Amino acid sequence: MPAVFRHADRRLVANRVLATLLVAAVAGSLLLPFAAMAPNRLVSGESVALVAALSPWQTLVLLGLALVLGVACLARPLGEHRGARTALIAAPLALLVVLYGLGDYATRALADASPAARVSQGAAFWVAVFCCALMMVDAFQRLRTPLWLCSIYALVVLGGIVALFAAGTFDALAIMQEYFNIEDAFAAQFVTHLVLVGLALGPALVVGLPLGLLAHRRPGARGPLFGVLNFFQTIPSIALFALLVTPLSRLGDALPWLREWGVSGIGAAPAIIALIMYSLLPIVRNTHAGFAGVAPATLEAASGMGMTATQVLWRVEIPLALPVILSGLRIVTVQAIGLTVVAALIGAGGLGAFIFQGLGQYAIDLVLLGAVPTIALAVVADFLLQILVTVSRPAGAR
Amino acid sequence: MIELQGLTKTYDDKDVVQDISLRIESGEFGVLIGPSGCGKSTTLRMINRLIPLTRGRILLGDEDISHLKPETLRRRIGYAIQSIGLFPHWTVADNIAVVPRLLKWPKSRIDARIDELLDLFHLAAGEFRDKYPHQLSGGQAQRVGVARALAADPEVLLMDEPFGAVDPLTREVLQNEMRRVHERTRKTIVFVTHDMDEALKLASRIAILNAGRLVQYDRPIELLTQPADAFVSDFIGKADLGLKLLSRRWVNQYQDRARTTPDAASGRPSHYWETDATGRPTCLHGGRLSDGDPEARTAVNDEWIATPGMPMKEALSRMVWYRVMVLPVIDESGRLIGEVSMDGVMGRQP
Repeated sequence: MPAVFRHADRRLVANRVLATLLVAAVAGSLLLPFAAMAPNRLVSGESVALVAALSPWQTLVLLGLALVLGVACLARPLGEHRGARTALIAAPLALLVVLYGLGDYATRALADASPAARVSQGAAFWVAVFCCALMMVDAFQRLRTPLWLCSIYALVVLGGIVALFAAGTFDALAIMQEYFNIEDAFAAQFVTHLVLVGLALGPALVVGLPLGLLAHRRPGARGPLFGVLNFFQTIPSIALFALLVTPLSRLGDALPWLREWGVSGIGAAPAIIALIMYSLLPIVRNTHAGFAGVAPATLEAASGMGMTATQVLWRVEIPLALPVILSGLRIVTVQAIGLTVVAALIGAGGLGAFIFQGLGQYAIDLVLLGAVPTIALAVVADFLLQILVTVSRPAGAR
Repeated sequence: MIELQGLTKTYDDKDVVQDISLRIESGEFGVLIGPSGCGKSTTLRMINRLIPLTRGRILLGDEDISHLKPETLRRRIGYAIQSIGLFPHWTVADNIAVVPRLLKWPKSRIDARIDELLDLFHLAAGEFRDKYPHQLSGGQAQRVGVARALAADPEVLLMDEPFGAVDPLTREVLQNEMRRVHERTRKTIVFVTHDMDEALKLASRIAILNAGRLVQYDRPIELLTQPADAFVSDFIGKADLGLKLLSRRWVNQYQDRARTTPDAASGRPSHYWETDATGRPTCLHGGRLSDGDPEARTAVNDEWIATPGMPMKEALSRMVWYRVMVLPVIDESGRLIGEVSMDGVMGRQP
């Protein structure tokens, strides 16, 4: 028998990542507070452990799933691949049980408490949720699952979570209480957030793509161009927002028609300008890299066979550069979703508004109401653009 | 027909191509050869205006190429390069269809042409049409590259060291195919290489360049027998001149009648072939080295044969390798049509 197989047989743990995540999840769940119960929204609450919060059947199911995951990471009897498939079933179930358990606990705990009392999620909850999510990501990587299958799986898991929301499982939680207080404002700020990101990315693409092409075609322009864009990138976002306030308010004063368009020192205008400045570097850099990655022989063949410069650009260079350009867009989109949070500081609105409001009032649940959707938005955008990158990859190179 | 008249290219006051004049007639296989940096590739790329010329004229037929739009000119000239440059995002069929599509041929004509070209290069259309370049072997990719260059039936084909990047075995096969394709299509070809054996095998005319100048432009035989100067004879290589000459001779020029019965009358040791019912040679009696044993029997195998179109150098090489004095010459269906022998090679002036 070859040495490799004998070695594999001696190994106890086949999937160390899964094992580590499982240990982290179990230890975190047991040692850290799972939920907190507070008499009102402004004081920090009393910690509740996982075992105390969950009902006996929930604890038993979680224990069972933890055992299954424990077996899944071993070399025998399942091995790496069957173990990963098992983890893909057990991890989302554990996730759903933890989510349901938290909501269920909140409902039970508040049933006989004062109306002002709040239940919020604790560190153990986050540890369990993130460990479950990472277990799924790890399993997909081990199985080299095609992206379309990942997408369907993600939709199913997401469907389960949405169903819990729709069933009102989380309604008793503090973060949802915050949401119900400001339901209309939340929807408006959510839309504002998306609009800000869109208004920044649109112009950044319109300016950045030609600049990237310029950097590729004119090596002389590359140095100064990247110098300037790099400089933008090094300015801290809050500083850049602040720096834009004065010149923009002067401009708005000087040109009243601009002010009618909404250009003033605070609000959306400086936010969008700053976001554009931050977005340019990744777009220009990736566009340049995409064009530079097209093999010189391919270009020589293209023009040698009688394609015009325009035909070479549209039929050869752009299709071959597109995946790299779109990876740039992916970076920029995720970055812009995050930076837009900070833009709330200068009155641009968006989900950041709740975060800063919550920080001001020391209402952590309100902060989370801003933060959690922002993170979700970034994750979803990242995933969708990843799909776009894969689809744009030429069939011959996929 | 392509004619270069006083062609000169100057970079930074340095002439990389100096005053080259030569004429490649229609249907000829012209090879530009020389050490690296001699200006052969630059000359080639001036013909399709990838590099603008500094002085002189290039005529394609009787048209001055500077009067044509570069794109129009290039669509009339096939172009194949060493690194092939297939478009990685397109299938084999799409790659071949590039120029016909630029010329706006109807789809049915393009499809028919793709199949015709794949067939010309012995690539099964059903298998290869929809493959992507990364799924091809080096030799297959180079065949597609040449097929692509031929797609729009250009008047002229320019090839810049097209077989430089493939392994020696594949190169040999591709060279043979190139000869066959040239014989079939009678295209005017301008072919750049630094490999003298390749040039001798393919060319009907060879231009030797050195330091931007044309040193000699002649038919291969004249180049070998009457080199213009010491540079040319050095470049050709004197050591294996005899073999090089044989690489320009074909088996049918040395072919003798093949005996199929023992020759009892002749006093000297002889040999004869045994054939099967269909006329294929199966075994040789005698003829092995010079041991002269007329009873020695040697079975014929697939390698130990010659064809009428094979270069004599290759036939000789096979005789040496298989330690025989004689090879059977077979036709396309494998029937014995004659023989070539060591005596025959020695007995005739190359």
